[in-house]
Amino acid sequence: MPDEPMNDEMKEIVHDFLVESQEVLEGLDQRFVAFEEHPDDVDLLNEIFRAAHSLKGAAGFLGFNRLVEVAHKAESILNKMRQHEIAVERSVIDVILEAVDVFKLLLADIKDTGTDSHVDVAVISAKLAAVLQPSNEAATASEPSSLPNRKKKAAKGKGRGAASAASGEGKGEAEAPKKLGAILVQDGAVTPEQLTEALAKQDETVPLGQILVQDKVVTEDTLDKALKKQGPKPSGSEEEQTIRVETRRLDQVINLVGELVLSRNRIMKLGGGLEQTHEADPLVREFSETLGRLDLVTTDLQSAVMKTRMLPIRKVLAKFPRMVRDLANKVGKKVNLQLVGEETELDKSVIEEIGDPLIHLIRNAVDHGLETPVERRAAGKPETGTVRLEALQEGDRIIIRISDDGRGIALEKVKAKALARGLVTAQELSTWGRGDIINLIFQPGFSTADQVTDVSGRGVGMDVVRTNISRINGTLEVDTEEGRGSTVTIKLPLTIAIIQALMVEVERQVFAIPLTSVVEAVKLGKGDLKTINGREVLTLRDRVLPLLRLSDAFEIPMKDAGGDRGFAVVVALGDRRLGIVVDRLQAQEEVVIKSLGEFLGEIPGVAGATITGEGKVVLILDMAELVQTVQPPGVGMGAI
Amino acid sequence: MAWNPNMKVLVVDDMSTMRRIMRNILKQLGVGNVVEAENGSDALSKLKADKFDFVVSDWNMPVMAGIELLRKIRADEQLKHIPVLMVTAEAQKENLVEAIQAGVSNYVVKPFTAETIKQKLDKIFA
Repeated sequence: MPDEPMNDEMKEIVHDFLVESQEVLEGLDQRFVAFEEHPDDVDLLNEIFRAAHSLKGAAGFLGFNRLVEVAHKAESILNKMRQHEIAVERSVIDVILEAVDVFKLLLADIKDTGTDSHVDVAVISAKLAAVLQPSNEAATASEPSSLPNRKKKAAKGKGRGAASAASGEGKGEAEAPKKLGAILVQDGAVTPEQLTEALAKQDETVPLGQILVQDKVVTEDTLDKALKKQGPKPSGSEEEQTIRVETRRLDQVINLVGELVLSRNRIMKLGGGLEQTHEADPLVREFSETLGRLDLVTTDLQSAVMKTRMLPIRKVLAKFPRMVRDLANKVGKKVNLQLVGEETELDKSVIEEIGDPLIHLIRNAVDHGLETPVERRAAGKPETGTVRLEALQEGDRIIIRISDDGRGIALEKVKAKALARGLVTAQELSTWGRGDIINLIFQPGFSTADQVTDVSGRGVGMDVVRTNISRINGTLEVDTEEGRGSTVTIKLPLTIAIIQALMVEVERQVFAIPLTSVVEAVKLGKGDLKTINGREVLTLRDRVLPLLRLSDAFEIPMKDAGGDRGFAVVVALGDRRLGIVVDRLQAQEEVVIKSLGEFLGEIPGVAGATITGEGKVVLILDMAELVQTVQPPGVGMGAI
Repeated sequence: MAWNPNMKVLVVDDMSTMRRIMRNILKQLGVGNVVEAENGSDALSKLKADKFDFVVSDWNMPVMAGIELLRKIRADEQLKHIPVLMVTAEAQKENLVEAIQAGVSNYVVKPFTAETIKQKLDKIFA
């Protein structure tokens, strides 16, 4: 097969191989870290061995010879570990982990170029060989192509126990399940003629038993007894429990369901109107009842379809044990990583986006949050620090909490830093609460890998983390106690296809503002607006908020220019706040996000569009982008 | 050839890529009636629920390994006549002896070509 040209079937097999190998490797990293802690765990070692073995087997068919070479050597080492010929030592595991990293490079090469010939495996090969060296003579047996006549030595009687155990079972199971009709006839409960008659009536939806009871051929009691005799269906007759579906197809279904939901909303509005005008009409009443059912079914359908896109967060967490192990070794710390709630499910798109922020937060916790073993001992803590990541579902939100028992954030030092950088004034600081001060670490100014991280922990790129989280409509909060540790709490929506939005109006045009970013809405009065340095601002409870007029952002011609009227919707992104000036607030609505399509492409400040119950197309605003247009990054609010 | 291309084959491997490769090879030989199982125990329940003419099984699998599946097949009155071809990555002597003693019909080492499998089928169904 390797010498055949790459036809479609082969391409698909290679694709399958890449996907499956990736899963295998993710599992490997995690198992290795566990194995290092429990070097006596034979099952774990067997699983690791099997993973390398399977990888090698499939790669051999596809002609990925470098992959086979590395996998073969790694497998030989693992086999010798199983046979206690090579000791389980960190140095050996390091080399195998290195080989796992080379696997990843090889797989990436295959993905990009279709072959694995662009990655140099000489170095890792030599390293693996060096581990194997001491007992290398008996390398591998030759490969006979057919059954060799080597029955000379009898096996050590290993299999006998298993074989005799096997012969005892399976007798009862071997019988195929009896048909219900046959049992009933055998018991004399129905005649063969009655059975034939009933079978003729049977179609796929109505079971035979039900027909027999309906036709009063048998009583329910008789039927129950016969059903019990029939027994449970053997598991083997069940079809496969899962099928692989391309995400593209699922997306199409989700898109169509989105359209359906929008049509449902529209019909609900129309139905409501009809009900008011033709209350007495029985036809309208019946229509409303049917609508109620349609409403329920559509909602159920939508949530069922959404569930097909849900993946367990385990996929993302799988790489963390290895990452933490490597990082802890590098910075000389002892870390116990606890992962809780790996089964928690998230939408695929959220899973794809959440990886990087989580990596960042975990790295921060290990690198900056935890102290060195010496420092910890001095502080009266156990030398090994704990980093815990917990994922759980709470109502219609997913909570991810990352906590450490490290040094926490020194708020006084954060304050001093902020003052030194001119991010805040001493006067402002005096009125700030704990939360406001902690929020300072999200300032872009704090993200330059500066001394803050050295003295107090946290701070590297936290603004980026928060922006990424808000991009998937999530929020992020930090709590900390000096000397005791910090906790970062991320709240995410279950799905990103439907959001709660505040509908606002500017010059009769309607826009949707995602509710997650809305803090409050205030009515504007005379004198509320001021101009500072040529920029319009709003003073709200002693805080100065920059203002954005949607009419300016989207170049909507205004009948009379600006002025102190309408409302300001205060939105927050990270700790950046701004007021959005609108004419009217309409309502809070659940909206389905639709992309603008290829023709319009990406419009800055617009996250997508939706269709309202009235049938109008409404743009959904992208707060993360709009906030940036108003406040150039690096200028803190307090500086205005 | 003595084997029937319409025969029903059970392919047992824990890696779906391998099952697909095996399915593809069998297809090249004109054998299209293939059912997959992901380990010995899965295979056993499928064998009991349906009639199969031939089993191709990997050696190293979780839950129930190939050798154990082979022993269970040979110990079962209903199944013991079914030919079993074992697939393994290396021809390790102990493995071979174990498989032969357990009653394997033939043995093939990865990677193999459609031609190799054809020869094995010819031998098994001679």
